[in-house]
Amino acid sequence: MSTAVKTTKLSKIYEGALRGRDVHALKALDLEINEGEIFAYLGPNGSGKTTTIKIILGLLFPTSGSLEVFGAKNIHSAAVKRNIGYLPEGAYYPEFLRGEEVIEYYGKLYGLHGRDLKRRLDEVIDLVGLAHARKRLVRSYSKGMRQRVGLAQALISDPKLLILDEPTTGLDPIARKEIRDILANLRNAGKTLLISSHELLEAEMISDRAGILYEGVLQAEGRLDELLLQRDTALEVDGLTPELVEKSEAAGLRVEDRLGERGKLRAPEGLSAYDAIRRCGELGLKLVSVAPRRETLEELFVRVIGAAKTSRSA
Amino acid sequence: MKFAEILRGPWTIAVYTYREGIRKKTLLGFLILSLLVIFGSRFISSFLDPSAETDIDVKLIKDICVSAISIFGMLITVFISASVVPGEVENKVIYTILSKPLRRWQYLLGKFLGAQLIIIVNLLLMGALFFFALYYYQHVWPTLLLWSILLTYFEFLIVSAFTFAVSCVSTSTVVPTIAGLFIYITGNLTEYLKDVQNRAGQTGSGWTPWRATSPSGCMRYCPTSRISASRCRSSTACPTTRRATSRSPT
Repeated sequence: MSTAVKTTKLSKIYEGALRGRDVHALKALDLEINEGEIFAYLGPNGSGKTTTIKIILGLLFPTSGSLEVFGAKNIHSAAVKRNIGYLPEGAYYPEFLRGEEVIEYYGKLYGLHGRDLKRRLDEVIDLVGLAHARKRLVRSYSKGMRQRVGLAQALISDPKLLILDEPTTGLDPIARKEIRDILANLRNAGKTLLISSHELLEAEMISDRAGILYEGVLQAEGRLDELLLQRDTALEVDGLTPELVEKSEAAGLRVEDRLGERGKLRAPEGLSAYDAIRRCGELGLKLVSVAPRRETLEELFVRVIGAAKTSRSA
Repeated sequence: MKFAEILRGPWTIAVYTYREGIRKKTLLGFLILSLLVIFGSRFISSFLDPSAETDIDVKLIKDICVSAISIFGMLITVFISASVVPGEVENKVIYTILSKPLRRWQYLLGKFLGAQLIIIVNLLLMGALFFFALYYYQHVWPTLLLWSILLTYFEFLIVSAFTFAVSCVSTSTVVPTIAGLFIYITGNLTEYLKDVQNRAGQTGSGWTPWRATSPSGCMRYCPTSRISASRCRSSTACPTTRRATSRSPT
């Protein structure tokens, strides 16, 4: 699999007004994003996510280190920029232009014109579901519709790499689901997506790989199934009499909830789902359901950031 | 890259900046206000003494209209030039634009051209109405007005360029707006300040009578008698005025 974005020892220092007040936004960042994947770029506020994105887009210059986008080192060239679509966080678009005018405007900036532009304009407007409001001024749009305009302008040139900063923040659940579906379809179409987000549940749902950044250092990076640890197992059982409650606790199966003889048990970390089922059988409990629980991205995030904070203070 | 391709980006930005700018209600407000003044000038001139000079009412209308075009046009110029770039920085539109295959100078050129398009169209609209209003009052095409509008635009262009330059290094519209108004007011005060200096009759180092002459060579203020040149000229006792008027009579 070829690499879409590769950074090598990428550093960025924002010089302060006074000596010693410099901010090290990125510290020798080594990051690789493969073509055709959705990469979730996570981190708390001020960790350096937006700085990385701005460097990839050529809006900022790195202090040191190198960057390649689709193998090209000159990221400022028009050929590279035509292959990148960008949706910034909470961006507004020209308020007194119509929705389709805004998308057309960005299309022209990409060098599209004539029939190609018209065709792409119709395609992306349909894709983001803005056909019914394309003639309205952007100032009359809701937040969700503005986000769709943003997505459409990022997609107008049919770029290979899409960089999305908080694509679903502030949207209602239906709009989130629709945006998520669009992103999944883009991934299926072979696009590479770099998503910077604080919505960890959303990120977990759609991304293939994730990287967690803290104070300019990549603390964890990899496929989600590698990063997320197997946690405890949740079991729902029938025939949980008061005597069996004590026996279950003694067997290491914690009773979380009980209603009549129906109860919810939790097997501890380290105990496999198979062993948990076997113990239920030994106790004479009737198994209703079993759900091996994996660590969530949120738990991973808290664990990684917590570890980074501890090691820094140590 | 061909020259036309290089200019395509700036031109696109200019066209869409113009399209957006022309739909803003603030501009429309300025325009309507200036139109009210242009047509209201007729009402003001009706208060003049009917026994006065026959063309004084037309002169008054001209003065009011030119002032209205100048003031409202300048406000539009400063407002537009100060807001086109900081506005886009503030709402992050600039990030989406500069992430496209476009150089920064192309973006700035496009924004400046867009601002000029808005200023020119506003000026032409006000000028056209003034033009037809004068024709209606005078029944003569005021062709000199076209030159006046052209020169007014050059004045706006200077103020616009200065305001725009300040706005490029500013994060808000306040500083460039103040800077633009400052340069306009200072620029217009220069002549007045010269007059004040002459009225005060300063004879400091380097001051000579011929410096007090207007571009046409006519003395405006007599350095000796410290009264206006026209009054002094009638007095044959004033040698300075005699010398100046004999050198370049008006």
